[in-house]
Amino acid sequence: MLALSPKRFFLLAFLTSMFAFANAQCFSFAKNVGKAKLGDFVHDGNYNATILSEGEKAELFKTFFEGQKYRISISKIESLPTIHFKVVDRGGNVLFDNEEVNYSLSWDFEVESTQMLVVEMEVMERKNATDDLISGCVAVMFGVETDKKK
Amino acid sequence: MRSKLTKPFFYFFTILVSASMLSSCGSGSKDKKASEEEKIVESVSVDGKVMDDFKKSKLIFYSLPSPLETAMLIKRAGASYNEELLNPLNNLEKYATNRKMALNLGVYSADLSYTSLFDQTQSSIKYMANTKKLAEGLGIIDAIDENTLRKLENNMNNRDVMMDIISETFMTSNAYLTENDRPAIAVMVLVGGWIEGLYLATELTNGSLENNKRLIDRIIYQKLSLYTVINLLEEYKENEDVAYLLVKANELKVIFDQVKIINTSKVEADTDVDKKVTTIKADSETYISKDVFEKLLEKVSEIRTEFVS
Repeated sequence: MLALSPKRFFLLAFLTSMFAFANAQCFSFAKNVGKAKLGDFVHDGNYNATILSEGEKAELFKTFFEGQKYRISISKIESLPTIHFKVVDRGGNVLFDNEEVNYSLSWDFEVESTQMLVVEMEVMERKNATDDLISGCVAVMFGVETDKKK
Repeated sequence: MRSKLTKPFFYFFTILVSASMLSSCGSGSKDKKASEEEKIVESVSVDGKVMDDFKKSKLIFYSLPSPLETAMLIKRAGASYNEELLNPLNNLEKYATNRKMALNLGVYSADLSYTSLFDQTQSSIKYMANTKKLAEGLGIIDAIDENTLRKLENNMNNRDVMMDIISETFMTSNAYLTENDRPAIAVMVLVGGWIEGLYLATELTNGSLENNKRLIDRIIYQKLSLYTVINLLEEYKENEDVAYLLVKANELKVIFDQVKIINTSKVEADTDVDKKVTTIKADSETYISKDVFEKLLEKVSEIRTEFVS
């Protein structure tokens, strides 16, 4: 069992309530900021957005279908530190790592063989960070290239 | 859809405190975009141990092929349009429970996407009207308003705009349900849409493994999506409607377990930094016997019939 002191209990309570409040704001962020970054790709319509804090990780499982071209676009609020993201197969082999492309948060994927892949994200921690924990909306949007553009 | 694997204890506090915070939330009058960012960034001082505990948490999201993506997959596989396969519009009046409304919001969203991709604009408008009514029935506010319908009508000849409207309405419904503590309903919408997409694809084969190999391939690979469906449903199986859907998904799994998908080579990636594109490739083999294919068609049709009746 996780033993929490009263101080930690109330800190966690505060953090949690804060995130619940902020979560409700993530939709407008995803719609107004995240979706625009897909450019000419059509958003698939799925909603993947939540509050993340520095140091926190998230994983997203998605099947990528053969013959499709996808754009993954990750949006974050400005004050949140850089997001490190990788695309890995189910065996954990790294297929793409944004660290190698200057931490770009938008990348296209052409798929020649249908695969279930995992998008792994981590909000990096600030250097010389104080005890202040920065949190904010992160939206992961998938765009699909339309026939017209192909 | 997200799953909180390592934050179960957070839920209690969320319910307890968020209500008071939300009720005290005043309407800001500052610049809209600036205030939007301010609302969603927070900073709080915490001690090291709490921070360490917090960082160990990991969110898991499962992303199903959306109705729009499924319709695109069907079209690119060279399948045709068949209006008779759609869930009839007048079935709408049958849907009175949350489960029926949620499942058929997904079903009609898939039909809407299918009609739109095949430029059946009059049908698209009618199916959009039905999704609007179901969204309203589920208490989803403003997902589809009169402006949305008008915009759809005004862009009947612009498929890209129509797809954009459809994707946005689907996201709005999903986000509304997720962010208003109704994730089980959101999952049911997704599953309804997925089953309808699978139903359309299987029916469009006309029962043949030979007519359209690309479409068969698309169907076979839904085995991977079923993994996502089951994981999503498992998260909310304490809800009796979700538990019912999990039984159905597992019945489908028994059949999909007999479908073979084998990667015969390692998954490889080739990144072109200048074009900002990575190509993912692997050699793979798939196999489905005629007998299993027929069972799959039958099961999908059975589940879909239950959903729409």
